[in-house]
Amino acid sequence: MHRYSGLLAALVLLAGLPSAAHAAPSVKLRVSFIPERLGQSTTLEFGAQISAPNEGVPPPLTELDVRYPASLGLTVGELGLATCSKRRLEALGAASCPADSHIGEGSATAEIPIGPSVIQETARVAILRAPEEEGHLALLFYATGESPVLAQITFPGLLLTAPPPYGARIHISVPLVPSIPDAPDVAVVRLHATLGPLGLTYYEHVRGRLVAFKPRGILLPRKCPRGGFAFSATLAFLDGAETTADTKVPCPVRGGNASLP
Amino acid sequence: MFRSLRINIHDQRPTRAPRRLGGGAILLIAGVAMLHPAESLSAERGPAHAARSLDATTTAHLHLVRAEGSNLFEQGPISGALPGSMQAELTTGVVFTGSFTTHTRGGSIKGHGAATPHGAGRYQSFKGTLVVTSGTGRYAHVSGHAGLYGVFDRRSDSVIVQTTGKLSY
Repeated sequence: MHRYSGLLAALVLLAGLPSAAHAAPSVKLRVSFIPERLGQSTTLEFGAQISAPNEGVPPPLTELDVRYPASLGLTVGELGLATCSKRRLEALGAASCPADSHIGEGSATAEIPIGPSVIQETARVAILRAPEEEGHLALLFYATGESPVLAQITFPGLLLTAPPPYGARIHISVPLVPSIPDAPDVAVVRLHATLGPLGLTYYEHVRGRLVAFKPRGILLPRKCPRGGFAFSATLAFLDGAETTADTKVPCPVRGGNASLP
Repeated sequence: MFRSLRINIHDQRPTRAPRRLGGGAILLIAGVAMLHPAESLSAERGPAHAARSLDATTTAHLHLVRAEGSNLFEQGPISGALPGSMQAELTTGVVFTGSFTTHTRGGSIKGHGAATPHGAGRYQSFKGTLVVTSGTGRYAHVSGHAGLYGVFDRRSDSVIVQTTGKLSY
């Protein structure tokens, strides 16, 4: 009888565990610099591939936390010399924001389970500098999807402190995106973003004339950290699951290749 | 996201230093120590001296010397109670941190500080505190805390730093 009680208790405990205790989605993280030259301004390229453990559709992504090395001059440079408000972005779209508020762009691919089949949709993402939020440097992400789900979604990001060896982290709250009635929310399976001057043109008034210029981007240090530039990303999902992926950008070497020291 | 500040002050005043000195004065003390290390050492080992108050109200206009990743190396003149020059190493981040040395004719002052940046756009203000850790010459015994304020121009990488408060030396 006692044995059955113990077994029953164990089963109850197992049943009561949150879904986070189940296998979490796996994430492959990829980061690179464009160009990859120490001591120079660069654009940070970020990619993440999310896979469900059972090869199905992963649960919807709710939070993304990207940590980067302290030696990266993310706040040095000229990215985001202007800001765009959430209200303006939601009402008029990213094109209405000042050119000098754009700091990057990217895409997000989502999977939408409809009946037995799964369809994919890729949304374009604009990344903009926003007014300060509670004393923190703030970003805004504006995602535009067209088919099969027509949606424009604005969601925030904050630059926060991070424990060593990281210098700071970008914390992004990802909203749930309804798909079709009675179907689950869309699930992000692939992210790609660039943060830096690649593809950006800023403008300034010089003696009464509007002059275009290329903003200085993220400044790389002159010396590469031992082992390369370490990045880490933690993703949280709607079912409570959480997973972390790490990667390193190898140290650039002369000749254009890269290596891990 | 961090910005550190290193300041070097070169005293341009006569040897007799004013009783009130700014953040630049602190830096001056550090400079004096560098110019007269023996004097600084003997002062540290000598009998207790009467602490005097130092006004730390100064303004430094710094320009970028070089940038390395999140570190900015800046220098420029200081005006205020104790004119001179300042060198600062700023580490930029969510919080700005840094060290400074100021040099004046009367001495130099060294210290470090931390400040929180605010605002968005080209000009970013910051506010924090600095700690004076050492000095030379007339300011060999300098110590204390001071307020730290400033504005950073992200287009030119120039910084205006103001310090307020009182130090003892």
